[in-house]
Amino acid sequence: MGINISSAVQVHALSDTALAELPSLLVPALGETLAMVGIVMLIVIVVGTPIAVALHNMAPGGLFERQGTYSVLSWIVNIGRSLPFLVLMAAIVPFTRFITGTNIGIAAAVVPMSLAGIPFFARLVENCLRDVPLSVTAAARASGGSPLQIIRTAQLGEAVPAILGGLTINTIAMIEYSAIAGTIGAGGIGYVAVTYGYQRFDNTVMLATVILLILMVTIVQLTGDALVRAATPHLSRRK
Amino acid sequence: MISLKNLTKVYGHGEQSLTVLDNLDVDVANGEILAIVGPSGAGKSTLAQCINLLERPTSGQVIVNGEDLAQLPERKLRVARRRIGTVFQSASLLSRRTAAENIALPLQYLGVTPAETKARVGELLERVGLSHRANHYPFELSGGQLQRVGIARALALRPAVLLSDEATSGLDPETTRSVVSLLRQLRDDLDLAVVFITHEMDTVLHVADSAARLENGRITEQGSLVDLLTDHDSALGRALQPHLSPAEPEAGSSLWHVTYDSRKVPSDWLQLVSAELGEPVALLAATIQSIDGTSTGNATVGLRAPAHLATAAFARHGLRAIPGELAIANAALDHSSDTRATEDLQWA
Repeated sequence: MGINISSAVQVHALSDTALAELPSLLVPALGETLAMVGIVMLIVIVVGTPIAVALHNMAPGGLFERQGTYSVLSWIVNIGRSLPFLVLMAAIVPFTRFITGTNIGIAAAVVPMSLAGIPFFARLVENCLRDVPLSVTAAARASGGSPLQIIRTAQLGEAVPAILGGLTINTIAMIEYSAIAGTIGAGGIGYVAVTYGYQRFDNTVMLATVILLILMVTIVQLTGDALVRAATPHLSRRK
Repeated sequence: MISLKNLTKVYGHGEQSLTVLDNLDVDVANGEILAIVGPSGAGKSTLAQCINLLERPTSGQVIVNGEDLAQLPERKLRVARRRIGTVFQSASLLSRRTAAENIALPLQYLGVTPAETKARVGELLERVGLSHRANHYPFELSGGQLQRVGIARALALRPAVLLSDEATSGLDPETTRSVVSLLRQLRDDLDLAVVFITHEMDTVLHVADSAARLENGRITEQGSLVDLLTDHDSALGRALQPHLSPAEPEAGSSLWHVTYDSRKVPSDWLQLVSAELGEPVALLAATIQSIDGTSTGNATVGLRAPAHLATAAFARHGLRAIPGELAIANAALDHSSDTRATEDLQWA
């Protein structure tokens, strides 16, 4: 961890941080943010996608309708979507400590971020799957596909561009959550922005973190857009 | 060969239950195209889903080549489904796969080796005349080409039965004709039993050997196309004929509606009837076509002869003539239903 609370407290200048010192402050923070978001997104995709597939196919008209199980799962997902991230993070501190043994740092931030991100992503992907025409699933069934084959080729396969769009939205939301997590000592850009920019009126750092966040979100958005284009034949194959 | 026996589909239970298909009996032999027609809500889509077993019938049998598929457990049903190829209304292709990759889908599901798949897909593309479009994505294909890919995909696993579920609905007339002639070609080449479900009556004349009419979940009429068209009692036969707007008869002459009512109507009946009645019969509207070598059709004519003489003269040549009032009444009936959907119009 490049930045921690003790080192931050030692720097007690009332003037703004010199430009030359910015990289040594921001680069490690950026690394922490990327690590947090990266780990969380990995967990979110791995756990959220199966939940979305289950939700979509247990709903009426799905491949394996289970009205009861669908309601329960949908209810659990809704709970995850109900709480503002700051409240969720505070509320599950005991759980986080139980899982990771700590309530500060990247590991501690990953737990609430994942818990918030998984249901978010599950709903996004469920929506994407719902937009795949039912006739495509019907054609796949008529072609003799097993449920797993149909889910992979017809449902997820057709929804890939939409899911990539959802992934972009979700990643940007996670960058935002990482900044909130930063305020309780998880580190990263958010932590730097709050301790230097907000608590110490260091305008240089404040401005630098703002620009850095804008850049990050822009890069994520542009990358997402490019991936969506590449995955959509009628956008990638213009003659 | 596919036979539906006592096929019944009921949705819901008890008081709320809705019988969508009621004891259907249908047989389609190899090399036969049966058109199933009916208005919206007659149960056509449900019937399609029961034939390709995407929906399990509530009771009754779906027998393909001697085996009843309706009661098979889920896993076996998936295998059994491969004997029935389905062509859907919107071709329902995977938008992110090329034509060739879409056709390969059933083979991929089955686990066919890539080399075999490639050979089979090439063969199928050639059969539907799309070899030059193999690597095109669906968005790069026309409606007719999409439907050809859908047909090729349906044939990938060499089914015994081909089910066409409104496959030509929404295509323009010329494209419909080319898809229909492809279906007939495939039926001949592969000896398929084809079930052609449609609400477009005019397509039926071009594609089918026989037709069945589905109304309120029941088959109300069924027979070979020629029999239906040459039987004046057949509502389906009448519905299959195009509706015509006749010209005004001359003053003093009356209007007659004439239908081909046998397989032996001479092609020069107009002259023969004119000679027998001793007056020229005025032709005001007519449509005549050959179905399996038999002339069928109807005409509206104007003449002055007394009714009993005219009826007898037409009857001698296998024609059935109804005086104009009735024909006009029929036309009025048609107009009264203008507000209904176009497909219902044809049933008026």
